[in-house]
Amino acid sequence: MSAGLYVHVPFCLTRCGYCDFNAYAGLGHLASRYVGALEAEAGLWAEDWGGERFGSIFLGGGTPTTLDQGDLARLLARLRERFDVDPGAEVTIEANPDTVDAAKLAALLEAGYTRLSMGAQSFDQRVLDALERVHGPAAVRRAFAAARAAGHTNVNLDLIYGANGETLTSWRRTLEGTIALGPEHVSAYALTIEPATPLGRKVGAGLVPAPDPDLQADMFGLACELLGDAGYGHYEVSNWALEPRFECRHNLGYWRKKLYLGLGAGAHSYRDGRRWWNVRPPGEYLDAVEQGLRPVGGEERLTPQEEQLEEVFLKLRILEGVPVTSVADEVASGFMEQGLLRRVDGNLVPTERGMFLLNELVLELASYRRA
Amino acid sequence: MTETSRIRNFCIVAHIDHGKSTLADRILELTHAVAEREMRDQYLDKMDLERERGITIKAQAVRLTHQLDGTPYVLNLIDTPGHVDFTYEVSRSLAACEGAILLVDAAQGIEAQTLANFHLARDAGLAIIPALNKIDLPQADPEETAREVGELVGWDPQDVLRISAKTGQGVPELLRKVVELVPAPQGRREDPLRALVFDSTFDPYRGVVAYLRVKDGVLPSRSKIYFMAAKADSEAEDCGVFAPEATPVPELGPGEVGYLVTGMKDVHLAKVGDTVTTAGKHRAREPLPGYREPKPMVWSGLYPAEGGDYTELRDALDRLKLNDAALQYEPEVSKALGFGFRCGFLGLLHMDIVKERLEREFGLELIATAPNVEFHVIRGDEVIVVHNPSEMPPPGTYDHMEEPVVLATIVTPSTYLGAVLELCQSRRGELVDIKYLSPERAEIHYRLPLAEIIFDFFDQLKSKTRGYASLDYEPVSYQRADLVRVDILLHGEPVDAFSAVVHRDKAAPYGRQMVERLRELIPRQLFDVAIQAAIGSRIVARETIKAKRKDVLAKCYGGDITRKRKLLEQQKKGKARMRRVGRVDVPQEAFIAALRIDQKAGQKAGQKP
Repeated sequence: MSAGLYVHVPFCLTRCGYCDFNAYAGLGHLASRYVGALEAEAGLWAEDWGGERFGSIFLGGGTPTTLDQGDLARLLARLRERFDVDPGAEVTIEANPDTVDAAKLAALLEAGYTRLSMGAQSFDQRVLDALERVHGPAAVRRAFAAARAAGHTNVNLDLIYGANGETLTSWRRTLEGTIALGPEHVSAYALTIEPATPLGRKVGAGLVPAPDPDLQADMFGLACELLGDAGYGHYEVSNWALEPRFECRHNLGYWRKKLYLGLGAGAHSYRDGRRWWNVRPPGEYLDAVEQGLRPVGGEERLTPQEEQLEEVFLKLRILEGVPVTSVADEVASGFMEQGLLRRVDGNLVPTERGMFLLNELVLELASYRRA
Repeated sequence: MTETSRIRNFCIVAHIDHGKSTLADRILELTHAVAEREMRDQYLDKMDLERERGITIKAQAVRLTHQLDGTPYVLNLIDTPGHVDFTYEVSRSLAACEGAILLVDAAQGIEAQTLANFHLARDAGLAIIPALNKIDLPQADPEETAREVGELVGWDPQDVLRISAKTGQGVPELLRKVVELVPAPQGRREDPLRALVFDSTFDPYRGVVAYLRVKDGVLPSRSKIYFMAAKADSEAEDCGVFAPEATPVPELGPGEVGYLVTGMKDVHLAKVGDTVTTAGKHRAREPLPGYREPKPMVWSGLYPAEGGDYTELRDALDRLKLNDAALQYEPEVSKALGFGFRCGFLGLLHMDIVKERLEREFGLELIATAPNVEFHVIRGDEVIVVHNPSEMPPPGTYDHMEEPVVLATIVTPSTYLGAVLELCQSRRGELVDIKYLSPERAEIHYRLPLAEIIFDFFDQLKSKTRGYASLDYEPVSYQRADLVRVDILLHGEPVDAFSAVVHRDKAAPYGRQMVERLRELIPRQLFDVAIQAAIGSRIVARETIKAKRKDVLAKCYGGDITRKRKLLEQQKKGKARMRRVGRVDVPQEAFIAALRIDQKAGQKAGQKP
């Protein structure tokens, strides 16, 4: 079973108001030190993970493309030296429209980055403003064209729906604009308000309305409809791919409970029923690695109940579903009558409506599961 | 034993917050009963709960020695509860005295409880010594207040004492008046023992302790005794006085006030108002007058928020009852709330105190149903007593219903007279009379259904009079009323805990209010939920909670599955705390909030601001 390798790059040009990831603006001066630390950290784990073959690498953030192309190329080369990486591995890098140009995109492809995931979020300027994104819709189109010109043939666009001021019509235009570009993969996320973010505080203080869940449900339905009509397959709650081979192998690894190693500040790892995570602040991370220590900040071992809850949660997310035989009949039939679950072969799989009520399904199915 | 001629038994009666406890503190200091270093505010209010609420719920008696013109006098100060819930307890404390200080705040003037207490004291035949308190306050108006008080008690306003319990000014003169004007107790040593129980508590080590006043005869320690109303034999293991801490004495003679340790395990054998006499052939023939069984006026269902805590709730109620003869409860089962108890209380304050003690002292989390009065359903000659709205027989199966009515006394600045009358009229009140204490202040008497009083009345009265009006009431009778039961249905299922008996004219508004409130409190479910209010089969209000459409963690990547799982686990815990009514999940908080008539009406009624 192949493993995944995640590399976290915590730098951004600016912080977006909704984002609660481990990301920082204004730490650019640490960039080259940080890349050095990633390489050093890889060395700290290399022996332990020597027996694993990695089928995917994912550089996430933050904004990995804030690093310069030379660093990014060298980093990937070092990772391939340290670990047993499948020659045909999927290697994804996240990019913001403002941090890439044709030359950089070409260099990334040259360096071995096979998949580009771009934070487009919306084609509506008002929505981008509400999300405090610094780029405009034109920049997304420009960056996408540059990626194509550079030869990228596996591109994802990230979208967010439900920001303050966004209407169903505006969301339709964003979806149509996305489909017109023809990316191989689309991720569309319902905006979630995290309390510990600038946007979260504004919502908490009543300055900005919280997203309307019913409108978001309509938007989800519209995404399913338009992306489906355009030939995208819906393979996870928030993810669509033009063909099965464009489904994100790395993320599928998380959802299928394959093992993964995370490098970088706050990165998470999973192996042998144990999860651990690195310290979050980049400074602490650098200090630990530079002293030759593994920068682990915490860990947990899953109890059987936790394993089970995760399993139901993840299997339902990727529409694999749970075996009909694992669920009490009256619970299954109740949800089927309500149109939230359907039977596919021997499994219970969420319907489109069920996907947007997934937590309810998970909690019920995990607690009523037969032994 | 002290000569009766040198004993003075008295109490202080006052409206809430007029300074009774502070005056008691000053008297204790003046008589050197408590060393200065042991002095603390509100010394006599023993329980923490009482000190925090600023009220006294258990009467205490303290024995003081006071030298006057070279003669030592024994002054027994009997503290009385200061809340309308405890009128009967007040009356028994008064019956243990020969005199009362009527304490009136010189800034506030006469209030409803001043009047109620004055009438009780006068009816008990006590010598009444009026005193104006807080004369040191800039806003005090002693002249006007003296005029009001003088008129009430029949004193020349010039003679009404003016004191400051805070500074101690005027308190020595007040004590002199107590000695001069309060009659010495009557009663002969040779007569058969008759002692009035005016309070009792349960001590886990010593058993039932009764506070009593010997009227006739002598009560020696280690004698055999008999509780006349309870028909219970016992033994006086120990007698004593509070000076102010418990001090054993060989005997309590006529006119004396003290305590009696019985070793009995059940406080209900020593109820307030009972008469203690000697066991055997010296037993008194007649008990002292005025005994009454404690009668709950307000009923509410108490349920553990966590179903499994039922046994703990039962044990806690059993323990509280040891100390609270007025508390009544019987097990009941609610379809919505599970196993619990229907509890009877003297009033809203009593209810709040019991609830708070259960939560604070026993760590229980409770759901209380909306309080209701005791209804009588009349069917021919039969009277069916209903303590729980869901027990009310269906319409058409009885002749009529009756509800308790109280006589309410409201004192208000005349400016708000109109607003008060309007409020009382809207609460099905019947005006008895209006008197003017002065051109600026009116005393209003109304007959009101008790059910209206316990429904938000006090808060409304306060808000309509900017906090100036005061209220006191006493039950007078049962009276016929056109009452109906309003049921609340969730998704077609009646929720027994939400049923209420209300006047027909108010049924629809009540139903609408509940339905609207529940719509806010019940989270959206996976299907549309109808909330309906019904009288019998007639729907009087309806709201719909639309099915929820979104409950999903949108984003799950980056490997931090731990956090997602924890969010789910949190949600699962929230679900586990819900109660399923039919198919609808209702959070505990919804029950608590929906059943709250207003923000703690009972507490406000008795609490200092």
